[in-house]
Amino acid sequence: MIIRDCMKRDVISITPATTVREAAMVVIERHIGLLPIIDSKGMLIGLVGLHQLLNLEMPDFVNFIPDVDFVHDFGAVETTRPEPYLLEQPVSTLMLPAISVDEECGLLRAYALMLQHQLLDLPVVAEEDRLVGLVSHVDIGAAILARWKNPNPE
Amino acid sequence: MTGAILSSLLFLACLGLIFSEKLNRTIVAFAGAVLMVGLGMLFGFYSEEQAIAAIDFNTLGLLLGMMLLVALLEPTGVFQYLAVWAGRLSGGKPVRLLILLGTVTTVLSMFLDNVTTVVLIAPVTILICEILGVSPLPYLMAEALLSDTGGVATLLGDPPNILISSAAGFSFTDFLTHSLPVVLVAWLVALLLLRYLFRRELSATPANPDAILKLDTSEILTDRNTAKRVLIILGIALLIFLFHGVLNISPAFIALSAATLALVVVRPDPAKTFKQVEWSVLVFFVALFVMVGGIKATGVLDAVVSVLSDAGNVAPVLFGVIIIWLVAGISAVVDNVPVTIALIPIIQGLGASGMNIDPLWWALVFGAGFGGNGTIIGSTANIVVANLSERTHTPITSFLWNKRGLPVMLATCLVATVMYVIFYGWFAQ
Repeated sequence: MIIRDCMKRDVISITPATTVREAAMVVIERHIGLLPIIDSKGMLIGLVGLHQLLNLEMPDFVNFIPDVDFVHDFGAVETTRPEPYLLEQPVSTLMLPAISVDEECGLLRAYALMLQHQLLDLPVVAEEDRLVGLVSHVDIGAAILARWKNPNPE
Repeated sequence: MTGAILSSLLFLACLGLIFSEKLNRTIVAFAGAVLMVGLGMLFGFYSEEQAIAAIDFNTLGLLLGMMLLVALLEPTGVFQYLAVWAGRLSGGKPVRLLILLGTVTTVLSMFLDNVTTVVLIAPVTILICEILGVSPLPYLMAEALLSDTGGVATLLGDPPNILISSAAGFSFTDFLTHSLPVVLVAWLVALLLLRYLFRRELSATPANPDAILKLDTSEILTDRNTAKRVLIILGIALLIFLFHGVLNISPAFIALSAATLALVVVRPDPAKTFKQVEWSVLVFFVALFVMVGGIKATGVLDAVVSVLSDAGNVAPVLFGVIIIWLVAGISAVVDNVPVTIALIPIIQGLGASGMNIDPLWWALVFGAGFGGNGTIIGSTANIVVANLSERTHTPITSFLWNKRGLPVMLATCLVATVMYVIFYGWFAQ
């Protein structure tokens, strides 16, 4: 089994000019965690995920204090909203570099890449970085575990 | 003559490079030291033996000992504990929070490295401010400024003091009787000035002051036993420091003994603890000692001394005041350590020519100590806080520093000047 066999082909993507607010709306409507960013030719140029969007509202101290267990109440943080101008910026300001696998990629390699880049979804590309699909960590994990059903590998 | 010109040019070029921030200061100093010895051997003005002799091992030993104690104390969470404690005690009232966090920072930096103090206190400050929903800027700037200010008070407080005490033979108690009173006044003035400069930010009432009361202090102090042991050892060391002049033992020996005792008692993973020691700082000091040793060997500094003592018509009080402001001005833009190391042999030379140099040492202490507050790059603590704030939503800019930090530097230098003039007789003893 390879990535082609477990990926979703119906991918929701956005363009670099999409605003942060619009990207957030797509996340809300479609309930997805990763938005691939493509150019006019359909080529993958970057990613923006829930994590990058939420960072706009996450307090700074989370980046400095490794263990926040002792903070029992986040106080004012819970009701702070990002500055409106930040939401009108193009999503390219938050963009991660394009991390992807091709359709022929092995499942364990794809999963290892996800772990390394701390992603829960991974875009799949064909020739010349054309976006063709998306796999989630559950898609890959389940596909790997499915091989356990048959103890004698083909 | 060639040696004199080459060595001075090399030193000035290194200062310029450190100022430009194009290259790391330790790398600049290291390269400068190697070049100085190389040129010295080539032109016959400096030898390797002289270079080794130029290193002040008392300063290095004291720094290493204190760094080890901090390295043992840091993972216990005691610094964060103190900051959270201050936050809780403030009840979320901005001015009270400023005073309490400022006091904790000052007291810690009187005995420990300023940079370590702000590195550990600043993140908790950001936490407290975000929970309260107030801007962390006034508090972060106050911590950088007050840690530099507090450091001036004691022999251990900042590197220039360690260097000066080693060169002048000042004891721990000399600092408590001469420097501490000036710092107390300067500190109060700095705090009042900060209160005024940030009056707008500090007048905001936090929406949710109760949240900081829910910070669980018991979960922060992760290693109560180690913290207690190291603090007791540090306390004993401070007691012995009070009498080191009478007992005739060096501060370095006390600090290294305390560090050794703490290492034996705590028995940490040595790989971790020794990694915490800031070796690059120690290398920076060694390199500067070697470089300035080279200049000294060429006789350049003697020439400076003779020029200065010829200009000796200047009243001694005025001479001290000039040193305060000159050194403060230079320390605001370049690291105060190379400035201090370069000025020490000059002051020693003036002493040899018959001048009473005790008051000059104190002028150097105040100039080098308070001067660093002048710019965002004036001290390592400032740079560290600025870098940290750059990773937040509200970065400290050098424009902001010039508006809110520079006045504090000027005020503290003014306090030092006034007290220096009034109590000149005391400083001259």
